[in-house]
Amino acid sequence: MKRGRNKSKKDGGVSLLLSIIVVFGILGAVVFSVARKISTEMSASAIQNLSESLDLIECTIEAVLGKEAEFQRLMAQEIAIWTDPEEYVRTFQKSQTMVKISLIRTGETRGISNTNELFSEEGLDFSAGGTVDGLPVSKSYTNYMGTWAYTMKCPVEKEGEEIASLYIEYVYDSLDRALPNGFYNNRAMLYIMDAESERMVLKPKGMGERSAGHLNLEDFFRANDILDEGLREEVAASVRNGKNIMFNHDIRGRNSLIYMWSVNEGTIYLIGYVPIEAIQQEGNTVNQNILIVVAVMLVAFFLCCVLYYFNQRQQNKIRKEREQEREIHNRQLAEALQAAQIASNSKTTFLSNMSHDIRTPMNAVIGFTTLLSRDAENPEKVREYTKKIMASGQHLLSLINDILDVSKIESGKVVLSVEEFTLNDLVSSVDAIIRPMAGARKQKFHVDVTGIKHEYLLGDETRINQILINLLSNSVKYTQEGGNIWFRLIGMKQRSPQFEHIRIEVQDDGYGMTPEYLNIIFDAFTRAENSTTNKVQGTGLGMAITKNIVELMGGTIDVSSEVNKGTLFRVELELRIPEGQTNRRFWRENGISRILAVDNDEVICENIHLLMIDTGVEADTVSSVDKAMRILQENNVADKTYQLLLIDWNVADAEGIQKVKELRDMVPENMLVLLLADYDTGLDESILTGNTKVLTKPFFVSAFQEKIQEIRAEQNRGNTDAVTVANSLEGMHFLAAEDNEINAEILREILEIEGAGCEIVENGQLAVERFRDASEKEFDAILMDVQMPVMNGYNATRAIRALERKDAAEIPIIAMTANAFAEDEKEALDAGMNVHLAKPIDVELLKKVINQYVTRKD
Amino acid sequence: MNRRLKNKRYIAISCLAGITALALTACGGGLTEDNVMTFEKENESVVTLFSPMEKTKPDVDNVARSASEKTVIMAEEKLGVTVDYITYTAEDYKDKTYDDIALDRARNDMDDLYLLNPDVIQTLAGEGKLMDLSGLDSAKNLRDVVKAANVVDGKLVAIPQEVVAYGLFVNKDMFDRYHLDLPETPEDFLECCRVFKENGIETPVGANRWWLETFVLAQAYADLYNGGNTEEEIAALNSGEKKYSDYMRPGFEFLQEMIDHGYIDAQKAYVSEAIDGEGADFLAQKTPIVMAYWSAANSETAYGNPDFNMLVIGFPSSRGQMPVMPMTGIAVGANAAHAEDAMRTLDIMVSDEALQVYAKTNKVISPSRNVSVDCIPALKPLNDRINENVFVLGSNAGMKLEQWGNTCIIVRMLLNGATVDECMAEFDRLQEDILMDSK
Repeated sequence: MKRGRNKSKKDGGVSLLLSIIVVFGILGAVVFSVARKISTEMSASAIQNLSESLDLIECTIEAVLGKEAEFQRLMAQEIAIWTDPEEYVRTFQKSQTMVKISLIRTGETRGISNTNELFSEEGLDFSAGGTVDGLPVSKSYTNYMGTWAYTMKCPVEKEGEEIASLYIEYVYDSLDRALPNGFYNNRAMLYIMDAESERMVLKPKGMGERSAGHLNLEDFFRANDILDEGLREEVAASVRNGKNIMFNHDIRGRNSLIYMWSVNEGTIYLIGYVPIEAIQQEGNTVNQNILIVVAVMLVAFFLCCVLYYFNQRQQNKIRKEREQEREIHNRQLAEALQAAQIASNSKTTFLSNMSHDIRTPMNAVIGFTTLLSRDAENPEKVREYTKKIMASGQHLLSLINDILDVSKIESGKVVLSVEEFTLNDLVSSVDAIIRPMAGARKQKFHVDVTGIKHEYLLGDETRINQILINLLSNSVKYTQEGGNIWFRLIGMKQRSPQFEHIRIEVQDDGYGMTPEYLNIIFDAFTRAENSTTNKVQGTGLGMAITKNIVELMGGTIDVSSEVNKGTLFRVELELRIPEGQTNRRFWRENGISRILAVDNDEVICENIHLLMIDTGVEADTVSSVDKAMRILQENNVADKTYQLLLIDWNVADAEGIQKVKELRDMVPENMLVLLLADYDTGLDESILTGNTKVLTKPFFVSAFQEKIQEIRAEQNRGNTDAVTVANSLEGMHFLAAEDNEINAEILREILEIEGAGCEIVENGQLAVERFRDASEKEFDAILMDVQMPVMNGYNATRAIRALERKDAAEIPIIAMTANAFAEDEKEALDAGMNVHLAKPIDVELLKKVINQYVTRKD
Repeated sequence: MNRRLKNKRYIAISCLAGITALALTACGGGLTEDNVMTFEKENESVVTLFSPMEKTKPDVDNVARSASEKTVIMAEEKLGVTVDYITYTAEDYKDKTYDDIALDRARNDMDDLYLLNPDVIQTLAGEGKLMDLSGLDSAKNLRDVVKAANVVDGKLVAIPQEVVAYGLFVNKDMFDRYHLDLPETPEDFLECCRVFKENGIETPVGANRWWLETFVLAQAYADLYNGGNTEEEIAALNSGEKKYSDYMRPGFEFLQEMIDHGYIDAQKAYVSEAIDGEGADFLAQKTPIVMAYWSAANSETAYGNPDFNMLVIGFPSSRGQMPVMPMTGIAVGANAAHAEDAMRTLDIMVSDEALQVYAKTNKVISPSRNVSVDCIPALKPLNDRINENVFVLGSNAGMKLEQWGNTCIIVRMLLNGATVDECMAEFDRLQEDILMDSK
């Protein structure tokens, strides 16, 4: 169809082009024929003009000659009157025309001239028989003045009898004055030729070029390359017969018109040439003007064509752009529709999942609550039911937290809280959470830290923790029992000295994922197996949250997975290194400048080495107990003594615990020996005596430092343990502002269980008033809800702090609110509250916080 | 986008309208409100120049004439005058010569400027028909030898545009073919001619009725002009102490010997015009030697483009190869109708600037001491002799007996059958006439 349209378009273009060519062909032919016609007419007209001009010159010369003859006759008549004709001749002064007059009496051969010379007809040739007005005229000759001349002979008659002949010599130069000065703008050439001698006798002024052949007719022919014998004979015949001739001939590459114009019945000739272009100047101008007009019209036409072409091209371009835009819009609309449908489906699925996921724990809560009310008298059952209700509640809480996180991230409200943290704490906390989970599923949890140069870093520890927990808990969830989970923290090559480049790898050998699922794993509301009967439960938001947080931190996350082989998540983050983090002083104060590490794992050795660089402590590493022993023996010099021995528990596993003991026994008793183990329980107790302690893997300087501090503290305390004060709320009395009756009831019950009293008011205003009216130290702290009628928690706090009471500024105010975001915490602290606790209430956390802020009355 | 398109369209339409308006304006021009047209009569200054013109060849430019015309155009542009050319060429030997016509015209005050041969200059100057040009600015730049040759009775009567040097034009290839050295002396020359003749060259020397005199003059005055006693010897000639015939005899005898041996065709030469008679045979390599003037070696109308290795040498003489230098010149008629304009025109035509153009175009020796131009290789032998100051003047106004014209005429007598003695007698007669006149 399209090809057909293109073809028809092409055909249309060809026919248009042919039409244009035809139109232009016709136009060109018309212009050419008009120009040719004009040229021909102008040429005929020009030749006519030339012929008329030559006629005019001819007539002028004939008139001059006629007047000369007439005047000579008059002179002859005058002479006839004179008694002494010779006297008349002698007294004659030459003029510009008549340069010499002579007289020969009839019957004599000699006479006299006005120059007082003897005169005879000798040298004058009248044989050609030429006459002017009846008077014989001689052949031309060069006279005594060095110029061309002719003589006319006139009889002098007296009383009817010829008494003498009057000879008057005329110069051709005199004709020049009667002729026009210039001929065809000096481009035409003209000579006056004596027909008898064929000599050029005069070149009138302004009559063209010099290279014309000035000598005679032969020279004229030769100079102008007229070599055609036929033509020359024809010309000669015409000259002999006194005819006018005109013919075309190329003279020096220019088409010219050669003319020979008979004067005085052929006794003299006007001879010359004129270039055709000179006589057709007007015709050429007209033709040129026609051509200019045609050219201008053509240019205008082509301009219009070009304009039309560009216009069309522009229109086509615009149309194409619009079509493309329309296509893009349609595609976008289709995509949007598809996305909306997918989103709708996702959300429907999500709601379905949520419905299931929320109902399940809710069902447990309600069910166990029912059971609780039935078995309230059985403490064993009550504890069991409450434990399960608590677990279900926790699960529900995590669901809600995830949903809130997603909504926050999607609305761009997540703010990273960047603070200094140690990788040690991070790994410890993750380990503490994941290891039990993995243990519960009989999975092995491996933690490796390699290549980390700085363990103190700046970042949002909570969020990083969230990432790790999400990834690791997923691994635990999606790995079969007895499987393996690897958690690797790898220090990469730094791109900038201010940033530690970390790669976190979470790998498992679990179920794995299909390639299709891998494509959508980071989309919200997706779950690996979309079945409400699936054993694995979750919101399907974890990975979306994880990815968003990673990207928020400027990092990257990718995943590779294979079904039934396992999954590998790889997160890369660049975290700023805080300035002045090293604590060399600690090591100096504790007298540690050199340690020996015994580890058969080269990676760990390298790790220890790297991490200890900044501490200023020299860390030597050996791969076996034997080597360690040898080194200890060789270095048993005071200044090279090791202050601490670090032994990997794997060495003990490999070489036998006895050997480790021997090694330990080699070192002095006051020297610390730390066993680097995956966990601090389950080790052979026989070795953990005296100065030998356990340091859990992975090795971190901070953990190392804490362990040393701990040991030193123990040593300082001696054998007496410090009395630990339990986080108890016993005997305390609180003012609580809580508008929700159930929450108020729960709070009251919890506090009562903990042995504390509580007075609850319904809003902030009442809380302010109650505190204002209370006696000093009546309340240990105020537990403040935020969203309340009449006056909210923030305003109430400000009002309390503003009260003119001594303890108004000091009394701890603890925010207890469902507004759990970081911004809410900030606002609470800004309002003057001491601490922010998110609902639901975590009793242990509450106790800890209260004990931290409340000074016991006793 | 559309607006831009519209703007383009408006611009294009405006352009079209502009072009149309311009075209219409151009077409409609030329009409004035006043219907009466008046024409001023042109009142131009005209100067007539009488000069020779050879027979014309189609599509061939005469370099010498072109060079002269350039100087004329220069004068016309600078002065606003128009120079009208009056010209004459003899059809054949029966016609009056150019010199005859020049004399007639000058005597009858027909023209303003004349290009004259040396004998005519001397004759007309003697008759007082030429203007004294020594006051012209350009006269100050002339070489001494040029001035000396054109001063008559203390008046500078003509100024040339080139120093004309005559020499022998030889076909070096033909000389080489017969293992001949270029001749230095008359004897050498005769020997060369003998060898050529023996080898089938019918007429070894091509000649015309004008330039054989150069042979004679070279031998006659080689010692006079190059012997270091020039002024005294000329004085002796002018006073009658010495005879011109004594100088001329060896040259005439030599010429006679050449004729007798058939090395020169006297009859043909007697009726031949310059180059017309001998040029064709020389260019066709039938004749190995001709005589001509310097510019003929540069001019396509003469020997400017031969098919052989051509050299121009001096005439053989007792003092070796001898260039002969007659001084042609442009003169102003004493009673010229436009004398003032003619003087100014001539001043421009022979100024250093004009002579530079002339010499460069025509590749000739300039009469101005301030102008020099490299010559073509063929002219080098002749030019070397001139640069060595070895030459014979073909005309000398200081000699009371005019040389160039008279020698030419007497050589023609020889060609026409007169004996050497008769020719010498003619010289003696002319010398006596002059002495009588001066007395």
